Amino acid sequence: MSEKPKKRVWARWVVLAAIILGLFLFTGFFGIGLGIAPIMPHVYLPGEKLSETPILGIEGFYPTNTLVGLGLANLIVILLAVGVSSGVKSGKMVLTGISGAVEALLEMLYGITEGTAGKWTKQIFPWFATITLLVLAANWSGLVPGNETIGLIHEYKNGHPLIQAGPLTTIWEGGAGVDVESYDGKKYAVVPFLRPVSTDLNFTFALAVVAVVMIQVFGFRSQGMAYMTKFWNTKTLFSKPIFGVIDFGVGILELISEFSKILSFAFRLFGNMFAGAVLLFVIGSLVPVFAQAMFYLLEFFVGLIQAIVFGMLTMVFMAQATQGHGEHHEEEAHA
Amino acid sequence: MEALGINLPFFLVQVVNLIIMYVVVAKWIVGPISGLLEKRRATIAQGLEDAREAADARANAEKEAEKILAEAQAKAASLVREATERAEAAGRDVKAAAEAEAGKAREKAMAEVEDERSRILSDLRGQVAALSIAATQKLVGDALDDKRQHALVDEFFSGVKAGKVVIMEGAGVTGQSAEVTSALPLTDAEQATVKKDVLAKSGAAAVTFRVDPSILGGLVIRVGDKVLDGSVAGKLEGLRANLR
Amino acid sequence: MEVEAAKLIGAGLAMIGAIGAGAGVGIVVGGAVQAMGRNPDATGTIQTNMILGIAFAEAIAIYCLVVALLILFVF
Repeated sequence: MSEKPKKRVWARWVVLAAIILGLFLFTGFFGIGLGIAPIMPHVYLPGEKLSETPILGIEGFYPTNTLVGLGLANLIVILLAVGVSSGVKSGKMVLTGISGAVEALLEMLYGITEGTAGKWTKQIFPWFATITLLVLAANWSGLVPGNETIGLIHEYKNGHPLIQAGPLTTIWEGGAGVDVESYDGKKYAVVPFLRPVSTDLNFTFALAVVAVVMIQVFGFRSQGMAYMTKFWNTKTLFSKPIFGVIDFGVGILELISEFSKILSFAFRLFGNMFAGAVLLFVIGSLVPVFAQAMFYLLEFFVGLIQAIVFGMLTMVFMAQATQGHGEHHEEEAHA
Repeated sequence: MEALGINLPFFLVQVVNLIIMYVVVAKWIVGPISGLLEKRRATIAQGLEDAREAADARANAEKEAEKILAEAQAKAASLVREATERAEAAGRDVKAAAEAEAGKAREKAMAEVEDERSRILSDLRGQVAALSIAATQKLVGDALDDKRQHALVDEFFSGVKAGKVVIMEGAGVTGQSAEVTSALPLTDAEQATVKKDVLAKSGAAAVTFRVDPSILGGLVIRVGDKVLDGSVAGKLEGLRANLR
Repeated sequence: MEVEAAKLIGAGLAMIGAIGAGAGVGIVVGGAVQAMGRNPDATGTIQTNMILGIAFAEAIAIYCLVVALLILFVF
């Protein structure tokens, strides 16, 4: 009883101090604040290069901030793995702390998988868990303060001028207080050290491609070569005059839909997370204090939901691939 | 593609990384946790099994208790019934004994009453005879000898003349049993005479004697379903009918 | 500057597609809530399918958003 209120009080003072600091930095009330208007950070879709020398000398393979983000996400997942495995090895019946939360999440996901995949649960569930945990780690690592904000100042053509404001060198959008003397005509932007890997299309495409490939693998494992008839359905082409042709056409459409799944997976996650990041930028530049906190909460939920949705869609498609499709097509053809 | 930031080396790095992560998660997160879930499920199943067994045991114990209770109740009921029966039997015995006692006492009393009555009537007969003789002597003035008079009176009362029952002469009735009614108790000698004669004439197996003062004198003998009226009252009645 | 203006207008127009996704998500959630109200025991299954349906419907809006972002920041 005595421990918790103390911590709360401590946190309350931190929040108050942050608010006062924010007000001091970003507003010019009563002439005491610095009145630094936050600029709209540059929005750059690919991962930004941290260095101009390619890794291992491979063409185009530069160290980017999303690569650092990938390392962070991996680190989180590996730490969770260590925590969970050591927690289970210690013989406890119920895990505590973070590994307990992971266990609760995975138990829920296991329940969903069991309800959908049936006897293939044991094979499908690790993919579900991997994708969900990795994407969740990537999404939530983007919410850590300092992410996408602390970095090196680089020259950037769509950036803002770099000016001297008293003792500080800052990127300034320009306006009344611009010291024209120090303006050298070049534009700059901050390249952050860290950016969540789920805002990198390479990551989302890699996940999507692996997921779709594994869906096909599960299809072949469960049905053998009969799985091919899903895409190349010549069984009824000549026996049924019109419906056979329709069945064949549906098979081709299924083949196309497998490729559209890749796009859909990749862009859903990327779009959500990238849009979330842009949203935070925009809100931060419009209302310097308070408002961003609300959108942090929103991003928290979006990150969780997108992670679960990515994993769950993969799981559902895998489960569908393990079940027969022949009779399903018949129904569709006659509907 | 360049504008989207997609390039092959990055993409391959991500794919390889994902596969590594799959191995990590499958081996160190999913494996232990599914083992844990399995263990927990087994524990819960074990717990449920234990609970079921306990419930079974309890049900058995309840059944046992019920059985014991039923047995005890049956035993108690049989004991109660036995006791009741014994008490009833005892009560019956006592009652029967008491009734028998009472009956005996009553019979004795009745017999005594009868004897008393017979004795009183016998005494009365002597006195009546003496009175009637005295009255007759006064009336007739002539003195019959005493013995003759007594014989006459006795004849009047007993209806027996010279060892024969008067009314039985030539009556010719037969029956299984005979009942002789006299106005006053007969003497033992008279009884024996009457009995012998009635038995001889009617062929009856037994003779019973009754006393009824209302017939005034003589004998009324009922044999089977026939009645021979040799009583004074009957004669008076016949006389009254003739006089009218 | 005319190109910049056209980009902004184009990005704005691209986001019109979000209307459909919004209506779709509303219909999905409305149906799911009705179903849960009628059969509370099936809440788990309905929720799972509801989230899947929302994800599919939302994907359309995300495509619009991606197109808008591409117009604004890439091309």
